[in-house]
Amino acid sequence: MDLLRTEFRKILPYRTFWFIMGIYVLLMVLILYTSTSVEINGQALGNETYQFPELWMRLTYVAHFFNLLLGILVIVLVTDEYSYRTLRQQVIDGLSRTEVVLSKFYVVLGLATFSTLFLLVLGLYLGLVYSKDTSATAIFSQIDYLPYYFVQAIAYMTLAVLFAFLIRKSGLTIIAFIAYTKIVEPIIHYNLPDNIDKYFPMKALDSLTPMPGRDLWGQVAGPFEQLSPAMATLPSVVFIGLFLFLSYLVLKLRDL
Amino acid sequence: MAIVLSIDNLSKKYGSLKAVDNLSLQVEEGSIYGLLGPNGSGKTTTLGMVLDVIRPSSGSFSWFGDGISKATKHRVGAILETPNFYPYLTAKRNLQVIADNKGANHDNIDKMLDLVGLGTRSHTTYKGYSLGMKQRLALAAAMLNDPEVLVLDEPTNGLDPQGIAEVRDLILRIASQGKTIILASHLLDEVEKVCTHVAVLRSGKLVTNGPVGNIVAAKEQLIISAEELAPVLQLLERLPYIAQFAQEKDYIILTLQEGYSSIDLNRDMFAQGIVLSQIVTRRKSLEKQFLEIIKP
Repeated sequence: MDLLRTEFRKILPYRTFWFIMGIYVLLMVLILYTSTSVEINGQALGNETYQFPELWMRLTYVAHFFNLLLGILVIVLVTDEYSYRTLRQQVIDGLSRTEVVLSKFYVVLGLATFSTLFLLVLGLYLGLVYSKDTSATAIFSQIDYLPYYFVQAIAYMTLAVLFAFLIRKSGLTIIAFIAYTKIVEPIIHYNLPDNIDKYFPMKALDSLTPMPGRDLWGQVAGPFEQLSPAMATLPSVVFIGLFLFLSYLVLKLRDL
Repeated sequence: MAIVLSIDNLSKKYGSLKAVDNLSLQVEEGSIYGLLGPNGSGKTTTLGMVLDVIRPSSGSFSWFGDGISKATKHRVGAILETPNFYPYLTAKRNLQVIADNKGANHDNIDKMLDLVGLGTRSHTTYKGYSLGMKQRLALAAAMLNDPEVLVLDEPTNGLDPQGIAEVRDLILRIASQGKTIILASHLLDEVEKVCTHVAVLRSGKLVTNGPVGNIVAAKEQLIISAEELAPVLQLLERLPYIAQFAQEKDYIILTLQEGYSSIDLNRDMFAQGIVLSQIVTRRKSLEKQFLEIIKP
């Protein structure tokens, strides 16, 4: 935990950090607020969207798009250490490679905790305002989407950490990260049968926050295979471990 | 004297380029050890390897007789190349981060800032510092947990004459407290003024090393002349302590073996009935020797 305290010392006075976090919070609030006022057939969608308990699924599905922003934030924090040469200095001053990776992973855990709590607060607020059923069972019966989202956010950001340690330059890393998550893996998925590619990192991670109404969509376009959130948790945790281990290997095998 | 740093056949290859080539040297406790060489001679690569940030291609090194570890790192304060800090943090904040990493007492921070003369500017962000202040902050950072060994890479690089003098003064003051200092520099003058020992590197290879005094003293030259040079030359051939001599126009340049001086030569010449009209001791500047040593 000393590592996390040191990371906080570095991050808290950093304007770029607050800027990206500000955008994250602002965009989330904005998108959720505007979607409540979208009217379909003369009825505001808000009442429809924010009914407990389905709210949690919708909320985490929307939030999962913003993992990209969290990933970019983490990339900035890691590549900064290269451009300021402070990564070198940390190792000279006594940190081991394992501790260097761990300190960034703790930041990832912190950010994931923050965004999950933020979703909890946001969900409770929207639900209590718009939901017809506000009984405890309605509120909490599907709240397990939040822990699934938590795992997903960690995994996305850990992949960003790996990309940043691997590529070192912030701009290139961000491009590579977006290209991989949004283009390269989907192309691979397209060329592989569902029963294999459902275990691929991006697909397994996305399975943690399934698209609302997916079953309905499956009936129209033909069934497609995806892991259930519960089934996707173990592969996701394994991927987190793998990304961390690969980050460690990159540091171990290369000059800093 | 205990050995602080021992380097054994250390090499680093970048493709076909040998940045450091089978380097072996030992740094004794309490010495100010200069790594001298032109830019690109492998000084920073060598320091990078012993500081655990560059992987050696082969060879080994040890600190205080042990491999590198958190414990040995905490006994060494080091800066590699340019000062490395977070530009958006204040000097004090930067040192807090470093104190965390070194396991140093945070009470030392203000003390060190005062020592390097940044006490009144400790709340300025690093990016607002002048180069001299940055170098001094780096020194403060290196000394934060009162290490036994300081490793400094071009500590006066880019400083104005006053800054250079201040930093050198600071180094000598730190050394007088019994600390070992390893100093990489491409400035001969700096090494000559500050160091007790020197290792000269050229293209990654060790050219020569030893106490600074030895390397300077071993290269003393004499210039002599006389009315008639022929008998002088004849006698020089017979004298056992003449390392080498050469005639130049109307004078002779010669080097003596260690332990002899112009007095011996003058006496022997006189004993043979030769009166020298001129005898000059010329201590070659380290600069000249350095250029000679590193000539490929």
